[in-house]
Amino acid sequence: MKKVDFTLNGKSTTIEVEDNETFLQALRERLNIKSVKEGCSIGECGACTVLIDNEPHYACLTLASKVAGHDVKTVEFLGDENLLHPLQEAFIEYGAVQCGYCTPGMLLTAYSLLLKDQHPADVDIREAISGNLCRCTGYIQIVEAIRNAAGICKCNS
Amino acid sequence: MLPEFASVIPESKEKALTLLSSLDNVKVFAGGTDLLVKMRRGESYSNIIDITQISDLQVISEQGGLIAIGAASTHKAISTHTIIKSQASSLATACGWVGSPAIRNMGTIGGNLVNASPAADSLAPLLIHDAEVVLESKDGMRRMKVEDFILAPYKTAIDARELLTLIQIEGLTGYREGYKRVTKRARWAISRLSIAWAIQEADGLYKDVKLAIGSCTPMPFRPRVIEESLRGKTKSNDTIRAAIEGILEDIKRISGVRPSFVYKIPVVKDLLSEILRG
Repeated sequence: MKKVDFTLNGKSTTIEVEDNETFLQALRERLNIKSVKEGCSIGECGACTVLIDNEPHYACLTLASKVAGHDVKTVEFLGDENLLHPLQEAFIEYGAVQCGYCTPGMLLTAYSLLLKDQHPADVDIREAISGNLCRCTGYIQIVEAIRNAAGICKCNS
Repeated sequence: MLPEFASVIPESKEKALTLLSSLDNVKVFAGGTDLLVKMRRGESYSNIIDITQISDLQVISEQGGLIAIGAASTHKAISTHTIIKSQASSLATACGWVGSPAIRNMGTIGGNLVNASPAADSLAPLLIHDAEVVLESKDGMRRMKVEDFILAPYKTAIDARELLTLIQIEGLTGYREGYKRVTKRARWAISRLSIAWAIQEADGLYKDVKLAIGSCTPMPFRPRVIEESLRGKTKSNDTIRAAIEGILEDIKRISGVRPSFVYKIPVVKDLLSEILRG
């Protein structure tokens, strides 16, 4: 077992993890964060995307021991049902959520993009979300939602 | 679930080398984007050494025209680095197209080389920059050309007790340089075909031409005889046509004729024509 101290959604967090435990397992099973989804488990679908130091990472291919000392964000950082983040509002408004499985990862990836670029062109949005697969929307609504949220959202890390 | 293993996260290269020399059934973790996928499919090791926290292995620097790239540099770090963008732009482009943004934040060039996929995007650009790898172990150090390091698809000359610590490339200035690839979709795709080039021209003559073709032969290759034959030649339709014919002959000689060539050969031909014309 390894003791891992890190920051999770702004709070200092300590967990004990197995050497062969993925960060996806640790988040879901030890910290009960079920928004981080297990999809393909081989780093292709993006459903398990988390932000490590504000950059998207696949939790399924990240060893839990690796996040020691780092800042980690899951979708819970963005908002909750009482106060949604402008990106979340935009996803609802533009129909960018259908089955919802890709949504937490998609939102985090979009948030990471908006931290670096407040007015991304569509081509930059598409590039940024290229590692997050959505099998429902066809992406048009997601790109629209991110583009429209960009104008009103002041993303703070 | 991953198979069971014990992991160590050394903070220095020296510590990593000591661990490599002493632990049994050991494997280096340099990002995990290939290794953990293989381990999910049954590959197993007793010990994993995670080298991603060793800051010395993430340095990119330049001295006297030679660029040193720490083996644990991520694709993201390489694709955005000023030195790489200005003196090895094909490598910056290629690393910027590997996998997806998350994969580029995780995967490293050292991992990419040791995994040795014949479709690895970094390989063709490394070849035109005459890349060498530095392999270190507790007992010493050796250097070799990337061409010699990769023995066959997914097979390299690295010993289980060695660590790939550094990739050294020649910086190129005064060349038009680039990387193109053909994929099934624009992003998040494996190259079916790739070409890296760096071409120096003056007064309608080719002064120096470097080409590397990937995903066409078992290992990306440089058509060196053709490159040499272009030196000092007039940039004309005839020169270009002859050079392309020669390269296609090279490909067929190395690979034999493959079913995919019905598609690949015409595409290589058109890409080369576009690249040589500039």
